Amino acid sequence: MSFLLPGFLAAAGAIASAVVILHFIVSREPDLLRLPTARFAPERAIQARARALEPSDLLLLAIRVALVLAAGAALARPVVSPPRRDLIRIVLLDRSRGAVTAREAVDSARGVLGPRDILILFDSAATVVASDGADSLSRLSLSERQGRLSTALISGLRSASQVRNQADSIELVVISPLAAEEIDAATDSLRNLWPAQIRFIRTTARSDSAAPVVTFDGSLEDPLRLALPVASTLPGVGATRLIRRLASTADSVWAAGAGHVLVVWPASREIPEGWVPRAGDTVGAVVAGRVVVVAPFTRRLASVPRNDRVVARWVDGAPAAVEAARGDGCIRTVTIEVPAIGDLVLETRFAQLVASLTGPCGGETASAPLDDVTMARLAGSFGSRRAPAAGFAQPDQAASPWARWLLLLAAVLAAAEMLLRRRIAR
Amino acid sequence: MHELTSGALLDALRGVHWPARRMSRGAFQGGHRSRRVGASPEFMEYRPYRQGDDPGRIDWKLFGRTERVAVRLSHDDSSLRTMIVLDASASMAFPAGTLAKWNAAAAIALGLTAVAHGDNDPVGISIATATPRVLPPRTRRGTVSDVLRALLDAVPGGSSPLAPLLAAARTSRRVAIISDFLGDADALHAVAREMLAGGAEVFAVHVIAAEELEPGEAPRVVTDPEDPALRRPLGPAELDLYRENFARWRSALAAGWRGAGAVYHEVAAADPADRVVRRVTGLTEPANRGS
Repeated sequence: MSFLLPGFLAAAGAIASAVVILHFIVSREPDLLRLPTARFAPERAIQARARALEPSDLLLLAIRVALVLAAGAALARPVVSPPRRDLIRIVLLDRSRGAVTAREAVDSARGVLGPRDILILFDSAATVVASDGADSLSRLSLSERQGRLSTALISGLRSASQVRNQADSIELVVISPLAAEEIDAATDSLRNLWPAQIRFIRTTARSDSAAPVVTFDGSLEDPLRLALPVASTLPGVGATRLIRRLASTADSVWAAGAGHVLVVWPASREIPEGWVPRAGDTVGAVVAGRVVVVAPFTRRLASVPRNDRVVARWVDGAPAAVEAARGDGCIRTVTIEVPAIGDLVLETRFAQLVASLTGPCGGETASAPLDDVTMARLAGSFGSRRAPAAGFAQPDQAASPWARWLLLLAAVLAAAEMLLRRRIAR
Repeated sequence: MHELTSGALLDALRGVHWPARRMSRGAFQGGHRSRRVGASPEFMEYRPYRQGDDPGRIDWKLFGRTERVAVRLSHDDSSLRTMIVLDASASMAFPAGTLAKWNAAAAIALGLTAVAHGDNDPVGISIATATPRVLPPRTRRGTVSDVLRALLDAVPGGSSPLAPLLAAARTSRRVAIISDFLGDADALHAVAREMLAGGAEVFAVHVIAAEELEPGEAPRVVTDPEDPALRRPLGPAELDLYRENFARWRSALAAGWRGAGAVYHEVAAADPADRVVRRVTGLTEPANRGS
């Protein structure tokens, strides 16, 4: 057992010694009585009475000493450390939408995880697996969220701080498909905080080459049908549903399903929720992600400012389509009028616009794998994969499960001391 | 305080009277024999009519029988303006756990108020709390309730002197001082002597707690609640001298009050308040009224 703040324990020992000394040297005045006729008592000097050593007093002394020591030990934050090891591995396991199967990641993790190593699962958030990580891997499932390597690195750094006193060195292993969407502007800075080489184990990345199956409920004469892949216009149970009317309750319920995308793209001049009519004008282009379609679009609706994500904008910046999260899916409302005349809907750029607007929730994925240069930069140029444990910062709040019990013991002793003191006073 | 609010005290004192100890000079109609000659139905004597007498008081039947013009004289009854002066200093808040002294004094004050009010005497009370409370003498209905409320509101504490309150009650013909006389006893005594010289009746009710008579033999340091600087040891070695000093002081106090013409009663806080009131008022039966 060691103490994170041993100064408190030393102070408690000093106070306890003082309590013992005072207990034996302090004499006391006789009890005080407020007596209206005190003036009739003879005038004599008040003599202090030496403290008599009675069993109750010794018990009181013992309780007081125990109280001071318990409080001091609690403030000193005792920790019971397991035996020090040579190496601890921290395994960051990617369970985001970028992976194809969980099995491959699990197999890779089992290959590197040892007893008392740390397993951290991450997608857009990181979770430290509390119990033995290898046991919980069998229940691992992939999520539909985007992976964030920065989040995982932060969690790994914090875990390294927590275990810095339990091992001589720490190794960081990342098991991930390492798609381009998983790194951001902070990733390089965070990676530089790890003072050793990072071991990357790459799993198979999901490919977005297949277009999503879109269930389309428009009429056969609807020009938008021409912009969709042929297969997707067939009735089906795809994860994307494009309706040419306002959404019904049943549509909204369906949209809350996992991975479901409901695209509300009214064909008539119905006004969807979150939009208001505006003076009609003509806009020269619409932009959705990296797709730009230049054409004379008629604009009749304006969006009401909300927290919805804008997925397409008119060339002047006004929203043309927005996406609102609904349960595990989303509802995307598009106000771009599809021209019934002309061959715009047959053009590739319009098909790309429609594909962008019928893509998965959260925007298009950049599932392309990271290039070798980026991979090398992330792995680092250190000579060893073993980071010295002493190189990590001391944790701000080291867990000390004993502290709360010692504080509770101190509170109980304080109550006992008060009761015993009252009893002795009587 | 339960004794005040239960109503048992007032029930026990129903029918008790507080007669004047001497003929009153009061100007208002009341229950006490007055030195004035008035027109009450109680006949005293005839006197020949003199110029200036009220013709309405001529006894015409006597004139018819004897042809002497005489007026009918009789004793007049008067009321006795009564003030209760109640000590509510810190020394009355004793013992700290029960406040027996204060409770007994308050109950005696309420009992005397009820008896005086029952005799149609104007009665009021001065309570010497830290901020003194004075209810002037009244005869109207509700006076006893007003006094009860004042007593319930009062919290004994501080060291307000009684002498100024007694001096403010000079117009009262009867004054009852309920106190432990541990405060401004000399000044109080001086004012009382002046009132007695002026013909007022003064009753001194000295309330003593049992713990003051026998503080116990456990060695302690005693301190005066009204003078915390006074601290003295009180143990088995000092107890006899304490008892002796206290008894000597009580004797001197009683002699002083009685010598001045006041009625002095030493009562224990544990004594039933109705018995104390009967002792103070002296006579209890309606047959003795006015005697």
